Amino acid sequence: MANRRLLVKRLKAVRNIRKITRTMELIATSRFKKAMDRATEAAEYTRKISEIVGDLGRANLKFSHPLLERRAEEKRSVLLVLTANRGLCGGYNASVLRQALAHIRGLKEKGIEFQLEVSGKRGIKFLNYQKVPIQKQYTTFEDQPSFAAVDELGARYVDDFIAGRIDRVDVAYTQFVTSSKQFAVVESLLPIASLGGGAETKSEAGVDYEFLPSAQEILAEIVPAAFRAKLFKCFLDAAVSEQIARMVAMKGATENADEMAGSLKQQYNRARQAGITSELAEIIGGAAALG
Amino acid sequence: MTSGKVSQVIGSTFDAQFPEDHLPDIYNALLIEADVKGNKVKVTGEVQQHLGGGRVRCVALGSTDGMRRGMEVVDTGKPLSVPVGKGTLGRVFNVLGDAIDGRGEVAYEERWPIHRHPPAMENLSAKTEVFETGIKVVDLLTPFVRGGKAGLFGGAGLGKTVILTELIARIASAHGGFSVFAGVGERTREGNDLWLEMQETKIGTTDRSVIEQTTMVFGQMNEPPGARLRVALSALTMAEWFRDATGSDTLLFVDNIFRFSQAGSETSALLGRMPSAVGYQPTLGTELGELQERITSTKNGAITSVQAVYVPADDPTDPAPATAFAHLDAFIYLERRISEKGIYPAIDPLASSSRILDPQYVGQRHYNVARRVQQTLQRYRELQDIIAILGVDELSEDDKMVVHRARRIERFLSQPFLVAEVFTGKAGKITPLADTIRSFEEICDGKWDHLSEAAFMYVGAIEEAEEQFKKMQAEA
Repeated sequence: MANRRLLVKRLKAVRNIRKITRTMELIATSRFKKAMDRATEAAEYTRKISEIVGDLGRANLKFSHPLLERRAEEKRSVLLVLTANRGLCGGYNASVLRQALAHIRGLKEKGIEFQLEVSGKRGIKFLNYQKVPIQKQYTTFEDQPSFAAVDELGARYVDDFIAGRIDRVDVAYTQFVTSSKQFAVVESLLPIASLGGGAETKSEAGVDYEFLPSAQEILAEIVPAAFRAKLFKCFLDAAVSEQIARMVAMKGATENADEMAGSLKQQYNRARQAGITSELAEIIGGAAALG
Repeated sequence: MTSGKVSQVIGSTFDAQFPEDHLPDIYNALLIEADVKGNKVKVTGEVQQHLGGGRVRCVALGSTDGMRRGMEVVDTGKPLSVPVGKGTLGRVFNVLGDAIDGRGEVAYEERWPIHRHPPAMENLSAKTEVFETGIKVVDLLTPFVRGGKAGLFGGAGLGKTVILTELIARIASAHGGFSVFAGVGERTREGNDLWLEMQETKIGTTDRSVIEQTTMVFGQMNEPPGARLRVALSALTMAEWFRDATGSDTLLFVDNIFRFSQAGSETSALLGRMPSAVGYQPTLGTELGELQERITSTKNGAITSVQAVYVPADDPTDPAPATAFAHLDAFIYLERRISEKGIYPAIDPLASSSRILDPQYVGQRHYNVARRVQQTLQRYRELQDIIAILGVDELSEDDKMVVHRARRIERFLSQPFLVAEVFTGKAGKITPLADTIRSFEEICDGKWDHLSEAAFMYVGAIEEAEEQFKKMQAEA
């Protein structure tokens, strides 16, 4: 019964896969908790910065900063795509890449030159396959991106933008809303559209600040800082979303494997029973024919 | 003519007592004719064994109802014979060679015994030539051999008989020679349908119906095992006459060769043989070999045969289909998983094969395309478990492309049938071999990746898929 042996082999394979997916699910769960904590802490910081910027705004000062200026003609842009280094996370990478490709198509139509920077092996592999040229690639951002590493990028973008080498920076990543809601977006980070999007949620006590040194000087510090914080938050969001996506995907995979193992086991049992029945029938038939 | 007496009746077999010095030979036909309380009993038997002491054991080729011990048995002195010749064309026979279509006497010149020797080795034809059917999946992956044998394997309800009827409609209507159809142990209704259909179908553009070039022999489900065991031989004998006497290309269709083995198994134990694997007769291989070796092409003429083979419980390792497999040139396996997807003909492109799918017979291009199609589908099948567990997103980009094309190829292997027009509402498509090869080559090359999967269902050449796609888009 070659058939039965085949079933046993497949059953073993499915069970092994199940072990792996189950383990990955657990790992993703614990990593998700850590990433989540970091993201919430960073969110605090971003909120605070937004508050300060909001307060500055209320101070009714006339301010200007090169990072806030929208260029009349956008010629060169940077698209940063954040994907995972690893697969086995459902549609996580695919949906970010789909957004990114749509954005690239839009840029091409408008005739805007773009530099593509990709983080994560999955994205690099996919875009190479699609034959989209990648200018810079990063594979060092894992599930706990450090601020220093992200800041390097941020500083470069700020310098390039101020120097006029680029007119625009977009990031394609998975936005983390709640632990059951994330979606892939392409967000424009530079020029900064509104000062620290969350300025409306300001603290109640309208504290009047005295600015020292001048508000303009503080602004020169705080605008780039807000941008960097936002960029960092993109990385953190992406990291959290990746772990959630992996958790969900692996949970589904484990369930599928369970189901498959069940049906294989049933098939095997049936085949085994059929074998026994036919062997018995043969023995009895043979004995009857002899007797 | 010697006569003896019935000494024992066991189901569809019986023993007869003869004088020791006048024993009938093995395979001789014995005749019982009697009147039992006003009911006529007329049974023909065939001697299978000599039991010693003047007793012979026979298989009854008709019903043994009403038989009694002591009835007179007459030895005809020769094996069962059936009428052969052009007089048999257009007629329907039973296993004994009696016409059962109610059209009176058969005008025949001679009768041939149904037990004959296979052609001698030196007379066998060595030609190998592709036989085009116009069915894409058959022509591409399991090309038929002219003068060869093709088998349609499949479990219950997968459409073996439909494909066989389709082949009759395609081949017989375009074919100049003679055809013989053997109905072995299948539904009587189907036989009747086929008979009526053959009367309606015309050969090519002439107004002669297919039946005028066809002889039909039936021993269906209602007949006792003896009849089902011998009916294939009766039909084959008639086909042999066409081959040997007229030298023309003859077609032999058998539905269903498994019933022949099954009938053998039903009588085997009654004849006192010990059952072998899975309860089959120990002589399974011999019996089938004796039949199959006679279905062959000689230097004189060719018999091209298509045989349906039932696969019990969808298990191709069952001894009966496994034995039949060895005799065939082209092997078509019908798969339940494919019919469940609604793809007909439900031919499994990976399990099916043909002896002549080889560059030296079909040409390098055909061979390459067929192999590429199989590789794509094979890879898809391997990936299926991964897709089932992890989802299609986890595949590499190359594998995603394989899945994408395999799903299209799978659907493109379906084809509307001439005989199924009434059911599908789509006109049957005959696709020339060149179109078939080109279409599959272009799919493998990725020329048609932009068409939706549904566009590939039930079309002929690839251009029709494109048309269907445009029509579907216009509707949406």
